[in-house]
Amino acid sequence: MTLYEKIKALYPELQDIDFVFGTILLQNDSDGNGDYIKSWTHPTLTQPTQEQLDAIQ
Amino acid sequence: MSVLKVNQIQTANGVIMANLNSSGANIGFQLASTLAPAFSAYLSTAQSVSNNTFTKLQANTEEFDTASAYDNATNYRFTPLVAGYYQVSGNIAFSATGGIVGNTVAVIYKNGARFKDGNLSGSSSAGGLFYSVVSSLIYFNGTTDYVELYGLLGGSGTLTFGVNSGTQSYFQGSLVRSA
Repeated sequence: MTLYEKIKALYPELQDIDFVFGTILLQNDSDGNGDYIKSWTHPTLTQPTQEQLDAIQ
Repeated sequence: MSVLKVNQIQTANGVIMANLNSSGANIGFQLASTLAPAFSAYLSTAQSVSNNTFTKLQANTEEFDTASAYDNATNYRFTPLVAGYYQVSGNIAFSATGGIVGNTVAVIYKNGARFKDGNLSGSSSAGGLFYSVVSSLIYFNGTTDYVELYGLLGGSGTLTFGVNSGTQSYFQGSLVRSA
């Protein structure tokens, strides 16, 4: 399951456009370290913790 | 009025700075290649990406790199060592094999931060292939400034940046005017 899919599982109300304009910015620098949350400035939803993300299978 | 007639300009220690040609195919004033950085590189094998995640394009095959300012092996970034204004452009092909292409956009990052967006497509086509192009005039300080090309692909199925013999996903830049 990708990082995006985990976040969508936590917050199904999110729209794909939320990931385009920077309120939630997921990034992969093609350096072998995988996807990560570059920034999270969503006005109402809080950034999930690593524990919350890890708990989603 | 004084007239200076020369064919070549060199530094005091013999480094060629420019050639002045008055005939033939190369007529004109030509800066030495190291003083006029230009590069073009493309993606040579399809690059897998995650849904809705800005991913750096691994443009790993160079067509030219006049000043060895583009890193095509590790960081996939252009770091020219001549200060000035550069035209930087890129194109990314977005593919969703067996699925649907959603939002797509190519973005130039400067010094690790999102800098200029390309055209955004928002489609719902099954098995589609979409392009996004981005182009911008960018100032570089000639020491530490660098740019990279990222793309975002939303959708389903197997998501990749496309290749097609190097024609689909590429990154380019060239000095327009020195600082």
